[in-house]
Amino acid sequence: MSDALLEVEDLRVAFAVGGREVRAVDGVSYRIEPGRTLAIIGESGSGKTVGCRAIMGLLPTGTIISGSARLRGSELIGLSDAQLRKHRGSDLAMVFQDPARSLNPTMRIGSQITEAIRTHRKMSKSQARDEAVELLRLVRIPAPDRRFHEYPHQLSGGMRQRVMIAIALACRPKLLIADEATTALDVTTQAQIMELMLELQAELGMSLVFISHDLGLAASYADEVVVMYAGKIVEQAPAKKLFGTGGTVRMRYTRALLDAIPHIERAAHTELPVVTGRPPDPTDMPPGCSFAPRCAHAADDCLAKAPALAEHSPGHSWACWHPCENGVAQ
Amino acid sequence: MAAQLPDMTTTLAPGAAPPLPSLVSARHLRTQRVARAVRLWVPAAILVALFFICFIWPYVYTIPSGTVGDILAAQEPPFSPGHWLGTDPVGVDVFAMLVYGGQVAFEVGFAVTAIGMVIGGLIGLAAGYFGGWTDTVLSRIIDVLIAFPALVLALAVAEVLQPSELHLIWALSVFSVPAFARVTRGSTLVVRQLPFIQASRLSGTRSWRIILRHVLPNVIPGIISFSLIGVGIVVILEGALDFLGLGIQQPKPSWGGMIARGQTVLTATPEYVLIPSIVLLIFVMALNLLGDALRERWGVR
Amino acid sequence: MSTETVAEEKRPLLSVRDLVQEFVVREGGGTRAGVVQAVSSVSFDIMPGETLGIVGETGSGKSTLARAILQSPRPKSGTVSFRGSELTRLRGRQLLAARQHMQFVFQDPFGSLDPKWKVRSIIEEPLIAYSAGDRQARRKRVDELLDLVGLDPARYANRHPRELSGGQAQRIAIARAVALNPDLLICDEAVSSLDVLIQAQVLNLFEKLRRELGLSYLFIAHDLALVKQVSDRVGVMYLGKFCEVGPGESVYKQPLHPYTRALLDSIPSTEPGAGRATTTLRGEPPSPVNPPSGCRFRTRCPRAADRCAQEVPEPRELFPGHLVACHFPLTEAAEPAKVSAPVQTTANS
Repeated sequence: MSDALLEVEDLRVAFAVGGREVRAVDGVSYRIEPGRTLAIIGESGSGKTVGCRAIMGLLPTGTIISGSARLRGSELIGLSDAQLRKHRGSDLAMVFQDPARSLNPTMRIGSQITEAIRTHRKMSKSQARDEAVELLRLVRIPAPDRRFHEYPHQLSGGMRQRVMIAIALACRPKLLIADEATTALDVTTQAQIMELMLELQAELGMSLVFISHDLGLAASYADEVVVMYAGKIVEQAPAKKLFGTGGTVRMRYTRALLDAIPHIERAAHTELPVVTGRPPDPTDMPPGCSFAPRCAHAADDCLAKAPALAEHSPGHSWACWHPCENGVAQ
Repeated sequence: MAAQLPDMTTTLAPGAAPPLPSLVSARHLRTQRVARAVRLWVPAAILVALFFICFIWPYVYTIPSGTVGDILAAQEPPFSPGHWLGTDPVGVDVFAMLVYGGQVAFEVGFAVTAIGMVIGGLIGLAAGYFGGWTDTVLSRIIDVLIAFPALVLALAVAEVLQPSELHLIWALSVFSVPAFARVTRGSTLVVRQLPFIQASRLSGTRSWRIILRHVLPNVIPGIISFSLIGVGIVVILEGALDFLGLGIQQPKPSWGGMIARGQTVLTATPEYVLIPSIVLLIFVMALNLLGDALRERWGVR
Repeated sequence: MSTETVAEEKRPLLSVRDLVQEFVVREGGGTRAGVVQAVSSVSFDIMPGETLGIVGETGSGKSTLARAILQSPRPKSGTVSFRGSELTRLRGRQLLAARQHMQFVFQDPFGSLDPKWKVRSIIEEPLIAYSAGDRQARRKRVDELLDLVGLDPARYANRHPRELSGGQAQRIAIARAVALNPDLLICDEAVSSLDVLIQAQVLNLFEKLRRELGLSYLFIAHDLALVKQVSDRVGVMYLGKFCEVGPGESVYKQPLHPYTRALLDSIPSTEPGAGRATTTLRGEPPSPVNPPSGCRFRTRCPRAADRCAQEVPEPRELFPGHLVACHFPLTEAAEPAKVSAPVQTTANS
């Protein structure tokens, strides 16, 4: 068993909102190997973003976090902000969804990059400036010396996202987390940014985690896929096992997601298989499987007890009492 | 709904995941809820109490006059029999002065704010919704009114008309009207851009109906929480004018007047300044806190 | 299905010709920085019972197009003929009357509902505006509409939007839109902000309404697979112009315009055996204030040649019902040759 880069074990995050407890992440465990790509897929409220922010220490005070997240053996949960700052940037970095909001509109982008560099590495101003231009070149921004002096509003959405990636890479982190980083971009720009991230991963030997609601992204770009629902992992497998030819999806929720996504190959006006209802209220989780109230194949045992995530097949885990056979809905 | 602690006595079937213990303490949740309620109801209670003292109490229980004093009982300290806050150098009961001064404060504060809300609100609504020339003309009028220096106008009013409570209300309305107009116009501009306004237009609804049924209900929460703070500002302005002798004239009681008279004997008997100042402070703070709590409740930005 | 009934009614329901919409771009201080022609001389028809999908990325002008058709705000020039009436020439009451049969569903399900109103009043609003029946009749109609969109009137009619989920709120918006029995429903990214499973529910609702009410749709979205699934015909827009228009199957199986090809290549697919999504576009989208001369796509097109800079390509019908505006269309289904030198030969030029 190789040394994992990041090992998350039984991570739980809860916070109090308006007098009620919200269980955003309810016992999540996974590992990321060096140089590999993991996709965390889920809809809104699944806990996919909250989990990663908990690891990065980006959640507001008053949030209760328990469990463990070990980066090459050193524990990240429970560290103070000052201790985490040492890890942020040099070991872990994050890219967010909306580059328009993540970049300071009143600062030139060059300064924002040099600021990130000089926070972690001792460099003179001119050295940092050269490094920043190199980073802009690394993320394939044309004419980087000119762009260095520009403001965020002078760049397109795709360019701004590249700048965000450049800032994240300022200290060559071992792990890059992209939180819905391409959701707000056009599909052609998304393809460019995803390609860029994979190229950078190969060049810099990074691990990549991307969080999304788009199963297609996972199928196209990830090595390993984790599907989350209502704060728990419901299915986990290498991408090829789920989506490749002969791929088998087991958990009913993953199957429902796949069936609900529009496919180009489908004829126009086909009726989609419908899953009624909506995700459970995080302040009032049902006993038993959290997807059972909506699942067409739910049985009594599904509503009574929650299935645990278990590796029922080599490399492929799922949490379902009555999984799909052969990846096809019965 | 408080978080439930897990029932550890239920038997679990093999392979099932055990129920997870609650991560957030019930105490933490309770504290959050209590704090929210406190922020709303405590200031509200203070205001109701002040209102009661100023308007209801004098009818229930006779209090001494606020204007005529008994010279024989002059300068009694607080907690003296019959005068629980004492008397001023001329013998007027301090508590009575507070009560009647408070009546003036409430009346002027709420009257000026009400005038501002109605007139200013209408102007702001029209300017914000219709835009174009309507907006340009109305906004310029508002700008002119805002540019008026407060005290100069008050001086002019005091000069021309006999200073009285009514004239004070008119003079201060010159400031509350444009203030509300500005705030309402800003709110209206924001609401007007929202998709449901366009949806309403596409549904065929006429403009006046859109303003009345869609824009107004969405603008009012912000106006109300602003108005509470507005009352506080008006009360302070009124106090300042009374202090300068431009508002309520002696011997009619007013908080500002009490402070003015008290400052001459500040070092010897500070309570003549302190008492009305503290009451004024409590009144305005309660108004501000209530305004903030309502804003939090109603989600006004 | 819908094509059989078209034979009975050959006149288009909606006919748009040379539609142009501009808006002024202002700098921070309010000074004019330029004019953006968001919609540049666009023409198309929608037949009764047909769904036309319009797909495009940011800046393509598709949302502006929808608003211009509704006359809100009025387009700068061009004609919009709906059920025989010329909308650009109508004002006030007449425009309201003509537009009664054309309704709109917005992207933000909560934004399009007044948070202070109850569901019943929201759906009733168009009925009141057009004086459709007395109070009792309206009440009945609202209950009918709630049933139609799959929500129990007893449980939902008296709720406020904040008590609804995204999917339910969008259903209310749809119920309101069909309250007056429109002929055409314009949906501007109507499902884009919904979760995948909810999105499927709402799409099924659109299909149901299409079948039961015979609605025509103008369906605007940036998600190609989504547009293909709901549409009979699909139009691809880039920077204010149509690149390609045609039957859905034809456009997706045999894309003729390099932009369409690039869009299709960049979709990440979950189909087994699908290759990784790639990008064949170069560079960044050009500034809409100063679009490139000739073909607007040429700055990013792998097939661009001199002719593309000099001449604006006009739409040509290369296959039945399938038009493309390109000097060097892709007439084979194979990958386009990645050339930087001018391409001289195409099948029909």
